[in-house]
Order: sequence, then structure tokens, then C-alpha cells
Amino acid sequence: MNIYINGQELLLEPEQAILATALSLFLNDDQVKRSFAVAVNGDFVGKDSYSNTVLQSNDSIDVLFPIVGG
Amino acid sequence: MSLNIYGQELKSRLLIGSALYPSPQIMKQAILASQSQVVTLSLKRQNPADKSGAKIWQYIQEIVEQCQGHLLPNTAGCKTAKEAVTLAQMSREIFQTDWIKLEVIGDDYNLQPDPIELLNASTQLIKDGFKVLPYCTDDLVLCQRLYDLGCQVIMPWASPIGTGKGLMNPYNLETIRLRLPQATLILDAGIGKPSDACMAMEMGYDGVLLNSAVALADNPVLMAKAFASALDAGEQGYVAGIMQQRQTAHPSTPTLDTPFWHQN
Repeated sequence: MNIYINGQELLLEPEQAILATALSLFLNDDQVKRSFAVAVNGDFVGKDSYSNTVLQSNDSIDVLFPIVGG
Repeated sequence: MSLNIYGQELKSRLLIGSALYPSPQIMKQAILASQSQVVTLSLKRQNPADKSGAKIWQYIQEIVEQCQGHLLPNTAGCKTAKEAVTLAQMSREIFQTDWIKLEVIGDDYNLQPDPIELLNASTQLIKDGFKVLPYCTDDLVLCQRLYDLGCQVIMPWASPIGTGKGLMNPYNLETIRLRLPQATLILDAGIGKPSDACMAMEMGYDGVLLNSAVALADNPVLMAKAFASALDAGEQGYVAGIMQQRQTAHPSTPTLDTPFWHQN
């Protein structure tokens, strides 16, 4: 099935349809170690829920990192 | 005299942004020179190929540690209460703070806050335990509503974000100060020069939040120092009690015993 992470399409096998798995496929080694937060379809998902959040086809995931701001 | 934000006492009345500086090094020098203890920042998407963000985040952490300061994440770019609430929740997890500079933009041209969405977002965030610092227009009734909801800190704009136009409507800002004496009022956005910040403090505002005025100066570090001095001057002027304006001239020099050439 297809999902979208930060606007990029990602193809997942059925057994990979878990948020923690999708993040591990999308993020590189450097990013995994850094501070980030996640929303699925516009709803915040806390870190302790990554491994039990089941993804559906066409889900849209946002992975956000700290940046400068005013 | 200190600034109180949701019970947190701060030595400086300046809140400063971390964007638009010529380099991360100058950002760090300028923020430290400003003596601010509150640094704003944000969250954005970043794709795996982009490695620029990590260093900036490291700099900001160093700054906050050095000035014994606080992070103030914003919800920049949000246009609905739903987006802003989600972004605030994400920020709280990363930055470990309940403080949120709430921005909900209603117009792309002047980046004017949407008052309806702002109130809706504030309501939800306060219920969820956030300490909300809403960025709003200089509308008295909106500020009153935000305060009534539980926003102890209100941040009306001086003028649209990034314009540097200064205080567009001093009357509105003074009225907000007069009518909300218990609120912590921080003038946010549109500040262009140190005298703008000084004017806000002379009105009795509790603080000023700015970014572009320092970051886009020819010499951001020197400008940061100038703003620190301007806030001090304005605050001292307000506390000292500014004289009443008078319609007619009054001689400063005593007129008693005026010399002979005035006697004809």
C-alpha cells in the first residue's frame, strides 16, 4: 500500500504498515537520532504510540524537526 | 524589575526570534547580546537529504543554556485551530515546554491573525494544559476574550510581521494596556527600530518580541544591544512617570528677576 511521508510517496508491504516501521524506512540514521515529532493525518501521535499505530492506505504522515522561527 | 511569564521570572523584557540571521554564529552572538532569556523557534518538515537543521537546533540549545533561558515554540504557518493545536502538541513533545506562541494566520497578504481560529485554538490548548501566548491584532475586544479564556500573556502586533513599520496604531495599543491592567502584554511583530520598542515600554507594555529588526540589521549584534538599552530606557521612563503634555508653552527658566532688557 502507499502512504505519504512529508509529501513523499512510500510503498509499504502489509506487514510494514506500522508507524514505527514506516519512520525507520523513511528517516536516515542521522535523523532517527534527532528530535522530531509526528502527526498522522493531521493528528499528533506521541513517541510511545509509534509501535502500535497501524497505518492505512493513503495515510499522510508529517515528521517535523526543530528549525529557526520568529 | 523582571518580566513574569506564567509565573516564570525573567530578567530581560525582550523575547527574540532565531530566524533570518546571516549565519548561525551571528544568531548566537546577537541573541546573547540582546540579554533575552526567551528564544522563539519552530517545527518544519525535513526530508532525509537535508542535513542543515541539526546544527541550528544545536546552536539554539547552546544559547538557551548559556542565557539560562527558555524556548518558545511557535505555530507559524498554521491557518486553522486544528493545525495549530496539532503543531503545539508536537512542539511540547520535542521541546518539553507548555509554552506556545500561538499563531493562526488568516490572510496571506499581511499575515494577519485569524481571530476566530485563534480563540478556538486557545480554548483547546488551555484545556490541554498549555500556557498560551497568542499573537493577535490590536483589537481590544479580541485581547479581552483571550484574557478571559485564560491567556495570562497577550501579544498584540505593532504592525504586520516583518514589515518594520513600528507601532501602527498607538491609540489601540494604549487602550489595550489601559483596559487590561492585569494582563502581561508583549508587543509582537512589526518592530523596526529601537525607538519602537522604547515606545511600547513607555506605554507600560511588559515586553517586546522581535526578530527581523535585529536579524536584518547591518550589524545584528550591535542592534541587539541597542534594543536591550531601548527596552531599559522605555521601562524606566514608564516607571518614573512621564509628564503630562501641555497645550501651551511654559518657560523652564524662572521668570522672577528677569534682566533689565525685558522690562521695556
